[in-house]
Amino acid sequence: MKIVRVSERFQCHIGKGEWALLTEILNLYPCITTSRHSGPAGGPDSSQNLLEEYLSEQRLENKQRLRAFLASRGQFEMTDKAWHFSVSIAELEWLLQILNDVRVGSWMLLGSPDKELEWESLEQPTARHFWAMEAAGHFEMQILFALKD
Amino acid sequence: MVETTTPETRPGTIEEIQEKTKSALEPGFLVICWNDPVNFMDYVTHVFQQVFGWPKKKAEFHMLQVHEQGKSVLTRDSMEKAEHYVHQLQRYSLHATMERDE
Repeated sequence: MKIVRVSERFQCHIGKGEWALLTEILNLYPCITTSRHSGPAGGPDSSQNLLEEYLSEQRLENKQRLRAFLASRGQFEMTDKAWHFSVSIAELEWLLQILNDVRVGSWMLLGSPDKELEWESLEQPTARHFWAMEAAGHFEMQILFALKD
Repeated sequence: MVETTTPETRPGTIEEIQEKTKSALEPGFLVICWNDPVNFMDYVTHVFQQVFGWPKKKAEFHMLQVHEQGKSVLTRDSMEKAEHYVHQLQRYSLHATMERDE
């Protein structure tokens, strides 16, 4: 995937195979199912409940928006090998949040390991989460690189 | 935190980070971001810039503090504002909490 900033928008060029991968990853959203809010020192209970409600509503809203985004593929420009479409800065920022949800959620599903996972320790169920975490990270880095420019 | 690039800024090198005194910020709740091994360093820096509107150097300073010390107190503010920041950070899937500053 190549993302090029053109004025206030970003032109995205993505090969068909990579688009299929991106779609697979985006369809995993929402991946974070439990709150990460409870840390060594959380806020007041009311604050935590409010946060849970807020995040839950946010996930629903994002899921609907994501469906609309993926359904809009018909409006993308297509060449033999790639799709081309344009997104605003806000949309790219939103995609980054979605992808990181999948990355962090997949990591949580792997048991929140402290160290990098060894290939040998992966089994069929965990390999899927590992793949999702790595693939989401790949797209995140592409977006972060584009946003840096 | 997953290492991506090596920022030039190191913790303790920016005088401007020695922020406002406590009295100037009272009353207060602390917004804390905790380390995890999954979020990219570049991502965390980017999120701090977005949520707090910080310049890159300040965002990198706090990102490195999280990475090296396990956590960073990002700001001290009223309960309402601290909640807002925690919500924003959680929206980006960072591990953030708030606590009363005793």
